Amino acid sequence: MVRLSNVSHAFGDETVVRNLSLSIDPGEVVAIIGPSGVGKTTVLRFLALFLEPDEGTVTLDGQDVWSLSEDERLKLRRRIGMVFQEASLFDATVERNVEYGLRVRESWSDRLRDELWSVLGSNGTPEAVTEALELVGLSDKLGQEARSLSGGEAQRVSFARALAYEPNYLLLDEPTSDLDPRNTALIEEAIREARDRGIGIGIATHDMHQAERIADRVAVLLGEGVAEVGPAERVFENPTDERTAKFVSGELVY
Amino acid sequence: MSIQRRQFIAAIGGGALAGIAGCSGTGGQAQSDNGSSAGVAGETLTLTTTTSTYDTGLLDAIHPDFEEMYGVTVDAVAQGTGAALESARNGDSDVVMVHARGLEDEFMRNGYGINRRDLMFNDFVIVGPESDPAGVQGMSSATEALTTIAEAEATFVSRGDNSGTHTKELNLWDAAGTDPGGDWYQETGTGMGEALNIANQQGAYTLSDRGTYISQRSEIDLVILVQGPIEGGPEILANPYGIMAVNPGVHDNANYDLAMAYIGWITSPGAQDAISNYQMNGEQLFFPEAVSENPDFQQYVPEGWSSDSGDE
Amino acid sequence: MPLEPVAQLLPAVVDLPFREGYVRSIIFVSLYVSVTAVTLSTLFSLPIAFVMGFTDFRGKQFVKSVINTGMGFPSVVVGLVVLFAVSNQGPLGALELIFTTEAMIMSQFVLATPPITAVSLAAITGVSDNVRDAAHVLGGTRLDVALVVVKEARYGIATAVLAGFGRAISEVGSVLIVGGNIVSSSGISKTRTLTTAIQLEARQGQYDTAMVLGAVLVALVLTVNAIVVRLGDEGVMQ
Repeated sequence: MVRLSNVSHAFGDETVVRNLSLSIDPGEVVAIIGPSGVGKTTVLRFLALFLEPDEGTVTLDGQDVWSLSEDERLKLRRRIGMVFQEASLFDATVERNVEYGLRVRESWSDRLRDELWSVLGSNGTPEAVTEALELVGLSDKLGQEARSLSGGEAQRVSFARALAYEPNYLLLDEPTSDLDPRNTALIEEAIREARDRGIGIGIATHDMHQAERIADRVAVLLGEGVAEVGPAERVFENPTDERTAKFVSGELVY
Repeated sequence: MSIQRRQFIAAIGGGALAGIAGCSGTGGQAQSDNGSSAGVAGETLTLTTTTSTYDTGLLDAIHPDFEEMYGVTVDAVAQGTGAALESARNGDSDVVMVHARGLEDEFMRNGYGINRRDLMFNDFVIVGPESDPAGVQGMSSATEALTTIAEAEATFVSRGDNSGTHTKELNLWDAAGTDPGGDWYQETGTGMGEALNIANQQGAYTLSDRGTYISQRSEIDLVILVQGPIEGGPEILANPYGIMAVNPGVHDNANYDLAMAYIGWITSPGAQDAISNYQMNGEQLFFPEAVSENPDFQQYVPEGWSSDSGDE
Repeated sequence: MPLEPVAQLLPAVVDLPFREGYVRSIIFVSLYVSVTAVTLSTLFSLPIAFVMGFTDFRGKQFVKSVINTGMGFPSVVVGLVVLFAVSNQGPLGALELIFTTEAMIMSQFVLATPPITAVSLAAITGVSDNVRDAAHVLGGTRLDVALVVVKEARYGIATAVLAGFGRAISEVGSVLIVGGNIVSSSGISKTRTLTTAIQLEARQGQYDTAMVLGAVLVALVLTVNAIVVRLGDEGVMQ
């Protein structure tokens, strides 16, 4: 479980989160919802062990992440994957992109050997790579240049790239906001598939309906550090905070 | 024993020693020096000289003989008179070959150079367009020719670079009592070949060493208007070359042994013959001066020095 | 590959009044000195570009202005400085580097570093933060992220290296001063490059020969450029 406990953080004068407690367990989907700019990305970065909150603790399987050394934290970070709103693929083939996570986890001598073999062209594709691409329905794009993909395809490759090395947790920052319905559906299908495999998933989205479709639990960020956290059904039907009720019903709260 | 004779004996003795040392070393092949035997084999001699000397190709023609005999390499660096002496002053070269007696004397007086020997000579010529606007053709006085050119304000190209040639040119103006200046007097700051080209394009006069003129003759239309002493012209246009070793007392990394071996070799009858046999475009360029029935002891000391004066 | 002009040049080359192996040896010295200098400079410049691009430190502005000044710094002045350093009288005198290719490499290293650093800096800061973040978040160490940035910026870095190479192989002032333009008596170059050979022919007034050597130099630079660009294209064609 990755857990935020009583986390507070401010950027300059602006409080982004105050006393937020949130956790993600393996095999569940937690949606972090709220309007753009409210701080969803910041929360994801806490969960990705990327950003240290001003106050509060971040733990992964009970270990206080920010009291560890950089090396140990890197080891923990490597159990987490992340997909951004922009695909941010490398200027290389799809295969090279997806296998990146596998490569950096190899020892240097293994890496050198594999680099040499792939230059000589006698390398097969790692199984994890083919599987990940299958999951997002892009097995046929293995050798294609990443830059030549459409927006939706690129985002799906980005998803495969984060999955290839089998992380325990996967964080997604508004992964489908730029995509058409078909690609959105493909991504959401892949999310379900990943969840069924036991990966703990956190997804930031401003799309209420997406949250309804796929989330097990939600955290609604209401601004000024306030949030309501709970099982999806309960939050949507019986929200505690009235602002949550307004947000859920589609009213502009801010 | 007077300084003169001491230096003379030192020169002969040093040359002989170096010669013997060369023979007892593993001559003939460039092998690494094996400490105990006194050979210079495998070493490199750095020689700095002027661009006009180097550009005649004489050094490339005669050096192989020396290199084979001792199993060494000669790095000839063509820098121009001033730079050649400066390199030697800094200890960046082992032996220096220039043709500017005044500067050589200063070099010796300041203790940087020792064991100077006269090497060879050629001469300068005054060249110009065939039309000869100033009318200096055939004059037997170089200074008179220059004065005439100045008075006629005929275009004259000068090296303007403190090279041996330029130094000679300035000495001539000085001796003629004229101070050149004005639009007709052009200082180029280039090498001799380029200067000849520039003079050619403008139909101008210039002072050139005979060697460069000969090598350029087919490409330019300038002709010799005042001859140098080799062809009977005035003695003042003589161009004598000297060779000096860098003083190991000042720079202990100077390869003195090899420098003396070189000086010994190049002033020996064999090399002096090779020098006189060297031709460019069918003409002899250099006249040997080192081997003589009556050796000139003045070659070892700054000009004008005598054992009676206070100079050391 | 523009072979026609080269073919036209060949008769002139064959007629050159040079001994066997002379032109080949000066081409070799030119390439040896410039390629070595540029390689060392790239290895030196890339880390500096990284530090400049991604970290803040006191004196960063100063370093930036040093690099910019270095871009246009006259090569002959660099030669004088290196001469001062390696001369027998200088601080490095004991190493006996005067009139060697090593001294020439030193001066070309100094000349090539500013353009390589500046252009690489532009290339790597042009890599989007998102890509860097992605590399980081996917589990890369700082070194991994740096390698990703280098790969993303590879075309810009190749341009930087070519810029440095162009500057190095075309310069004549510094290699003349510290190298001495030396050729053995058998006509094999020790410290003579194409550029200093051209200078020698020009000072002797042999302009035709100088032009031919100049054409060889231009052909050489074009060839190197073509090779590097071709290698780059092959990456894309895959």
